[in-house]
Amino acid sequence: MAFQSRKKFCYFKENGITDVDYKDVKLLRRFVTDQGKIMPRRVTGTSAKMHRKLVRAIKQARNIALMPYTNTSTES
Amino acid sequence: MRYYESLYIVNPNYEQERLDEVMQMVADKMGEYGFSIINHRVWGKKRLAYSIQKHKYGSFILLQYETELAENLDRFERFMILQKPILRNQTMVLDTRPEIHVEEEPVADESEEASVETEVEEATENTPETIETTEAAEEESPEESAEEKVEDNESGDEESSEVDETEEVVEKETEEVQE
Repeated sequence: MAFQSRKKFCYFKENGITDVDYKDVKLLRRFVTDQGKIMPRRVTGTSAKMHRKLVRAIKQARNIALMPYTNTSTES
Repeated sequence: MRYYESLYIVNPNYEQERLDEVMQMVADKMGEYGFSIINHRVWGKKRLAYSIQKHKYGSFILLQYETELAENLDRFERFMILQKPILRNQTMVLDTRPEIHVEEEPVADESEEASVETEVEEATENTPETIETTEAAEEESPEESAEEKVEDNESGDEESSEVDETEEVVEKETEEVQE
């Protein structure tokens, strides 16, 4: 995914999303790795403004156990 | 007037009656603190991303309210932490007044349902193993398979949550297979 050479675009800008809800786990999962780490902006192409909101939402979702802090193979 | 949203997780072993008791207890406390409730509903029983107090599942309850007395929020937070049935809670500030949630009744056209059923049946006939069938259905028509599962379980309130769970389970299965 990260190594494909294609034009990056901000997912939120393309879809006209202005706010990121921490309850929308399906959306947030796009922006974390299989391990559960937040993907860097240089990979996802998210705009700086939305990336800040996204990071906040992911951390909130982690706090309320909707998303994992880590997802190692030994856990599952 | 400020708007807040609290999402809290109740012990998954609680049946509907005890869950209602917990919700009532929270609602009473909110009235005591001068908060007026906008929405208070069960969001569904979901699998937790990590275990909390050795529970793998949790009943999520969404609570949206408005107040002008923001100083009582700390007391409310303290109250929520001290409750044994509540595993975790998180309060957020909302920018705008949330819409009042109305329970959606599943209204579906019979013709569409029938077409979906036949398509899914065809998919299952082609592949013999159960895991592969779920994968195939997921790949070919993820939404349709979800809809079919909704038809299978006819309990009104927990439909969406159970669909989420099943989707997650299917995803995990696929991940395992890929590994």
